[in-house]
Amino acid sequence: MLKYSFKRLSQSLVTVFIVVTLVFLLMRLLPVEGYFGDGYDKLTPEQREAILRKFGLLDPWYIQLKNFYASLFKGDLGRSIIYRPDVPVLNIIKLKIPYSFAFGIVAIVLSLTAGLAMGIHMAREKGRIWDRIWSSYIVFINAVPSAVYLLFIQLYITNIKLFRLPMLFDRHNTISWILPAISMSLGGTAGYAMWMRRYMVDQLNQDYIRLARAKGMSDRQIMVKHVLRNAFVPMAQYLPASVLFTISGSIYIESLYSIPGMGGLLVDVIQRQDNPLVQTLVLIYSVLGIFGLFLGDILMAVFDPRIRLEKAGGAR
Amino acid sequence: MNEPILSVRDLVVKFSLRGQVLTAIRKASLDLYEGETLAIVGESGSGKSVFTKSWIGMLDANGWIDSGSIMFEGKNLATYTTEPEWLTIRGKKLAMVFQDPMTALNPLRTVGMQIQEALELHQDLHGEQARAKTVEILSEVGIDEPEMRYSQYPHEFSGGMRQRVVIAIAVACNPRILICDEPTTALDVTIQAQILELIRGLQRKMGATLVYITHDLGVVANVADRVAVMYAGEIIEYGTVEEIFYDARHPYTWALLSSLPQLGIKGEPLYSIRGTPPNLFADIQGDAFAPRNPNALKIDFVKGPPFFQVSQTHFAKTWLLDPRAPRVEPPATIKAMRDKYERYAL
Ligand SMILES: Nc1ncnc2c1ncn2[C@@H]1O[C@H](COP(=O)(O)OP(=O)(O)O)[C@@H](O)[C@H]1O
Ligand SMILES: [Mg+2]
Repeated sequence: MLKYSFKRLSQSLVTVFIVVTLVFLLMRLLPVEGYFGDGYDKLTPEQREAILRKFGLLDPWYIQLKNFYASLFKGDLGRSIIYRPDVPVLNIIKLKIPYSFAFGIVAIVLSLTAGLAMGIHMAREKGRIWDRIWSSYIVFINAVPSAVYLLFIQLYITNIKLFRLPMLFDRHNTISWILPAISMSLGGTAGYAMWMRRYMVDQLNQDYIRLARAKGMSDRQIMVKHVLRNAFVPMAQYLPASVLFTISGSIYIESLYSIPGMGGLLVDVIQRQDNPLVQTLVLIYSVLGIFGLFLGDILMAVFDPRIRLEKAGGAR
Repeated sequence: MNEPILSVRDLVVKFSLRGQVLTAIRKASLDLYEGETLAIVGESGSGKSVFTKSWIGMLDANGWIDSGSIMFEGKNLATYTTEPEWLTIRGKKLAMVFQDPMTALNPLRTVGMQIQEALELHQDLHGEQARAKTVEILSEVGIDEPEMRYSQYPHEFSGGMRQRVVIAIAVACNPRILICDEPTTALDVTIQAQILELIRGLQRKMGATLVYITHDLGVVANVADRVAVMYAGEIIEYGTVEEIFYDARHPYTWALLSSLPQLGIKGEPLYSIRGTPPNLFADIQGDAFAPRNPNALKIDFVKGPPFFQVSQTHFAKTWLLDPRAPRVEPPATIKAMRDKYERYAL
């Protein structure tokens, strides 16, 4: 297990290195207007060149890369140019994290509870009416672009006077949390339900279920002691990535409800071409993604002895 | 003989498959006696698994008992429909060992826990006691270092070892009747004999009644007291091992015996049964084996035969036993066996 974790960790670190480098190099292809602030038109060509030189953008790419890594190891990811001029990007992002995190946690709890319950229900009712009802929900969520139904929810539900739900997020108003949190959990619910159903049906068709029945276990006991746990193992692989993804903020929903989180920030700074902020956010998202996959593999190994005990004894 | 422990009468089992109805078991009847070992033999597809699975309510979801009775401890199991009813029998009184040990165990639970589950359900043992008993059973089924093996996972066991675990689970159930459905078919030949030996030993020790299903007549002589031959969902002949091996009366039993490589006469080509088993979707007219029987009589195609009694313990469902039937000689291999037997019996 230790050996396996170590191997996966080093693989992940290599991936992080490659991805960070790629992100940095791709960022160099972005337009540079953002670096000149608001007064782009008034600057002379010489002044523009001086600014670009100040940011080190005229150096060859490998020098830039070297400098980037040098400051990265010092924990310096640069300063914002337009969004909050001259404020270190990490200070800006730090203020955003709590919002994304809080919404993410709520959305995860909602979608995991609803999704797993739905998936289990579907597996138990396979081929019957409830299976179809929940399936149509899943198909809907997957087939209709989320922008459409999320906008629909925002516009129409806030229109229903009975609920008195506000259109936009306001951190002093507790009920303004409701719609964004529900919106964020809809996709996850469908995803978890779909996977849970599939993995449970897979398990129910396994031969060992037959032996468990022949032993005299009731269907309920088999469900609890064998099927649920086994079905959860393949889920465990995707869970950390999905959790990290959710708590790092939904780009669309945060902008839709004006939530001051990381996702909303990304949209903002891309529009304003504040490249150091864009770069840092993209880096954070990529590293979280890789880290999530790593955690997933470890979690799966914890649950599955066939991976955990690999080479530590092996089949005889 | 004494009262049967289990008594099946005219059992009919059907399946619905893509809108059609298939009759897998057609009026099969069988008595099982306390403490005996009964082998059920027949080609694959003849209904051996379905027949026995119907006794513990483990037919696939598309199957049902259409008519007939299964009497056990004064109750008719054929009328059972709900899970609580079956749970009074399944695992508790009748346990089953299946064919493929490679997939029979849950890969994510320890071997020990999977045996212990059965102990907790049927022997009212818990915690440390259950654990100790599990280790004891592991060693009883011939697994070395049972303490260490207890907390291992199925993938750390070989096929033969896994089958021992499956058998351990059946032992933990402490059943009155143990059904082994081709328990060695999926294993290496060398291991087959060991597993067979294990099952026999345990049966003697537990005093359970054993039903041993196989399509291989060769192993039957080693395990069974009695043999029932199944064809197309019917029991067509049954008797003691000697009666079936040396005095078989049904042409299908002859065919099965003649196809045994061990019995082949030097120089004669190995016998194989012509044709294919009947279509189970259709109604069967007369004797189901008639179309494949080179000596079929006219009546075989019109009317199914009843059971004719050959001896106190030996019955066969063939018109050949009717006093009016012409005399039909069994194939050469069968006659050779008979002669050999009679010589030795002297
Ligand atoms: N779930 C099922 N649905 C339809 N037909 C089935 C099902 N299970 C078994 N059968 C049919 O019943 C017959 C007997 O099968 P089985 O008892 O498995 O044979 P055996 O164990 O003697 O090889 C076969 O023709 C098989 O195709
Ligand atoms: Mg079978």
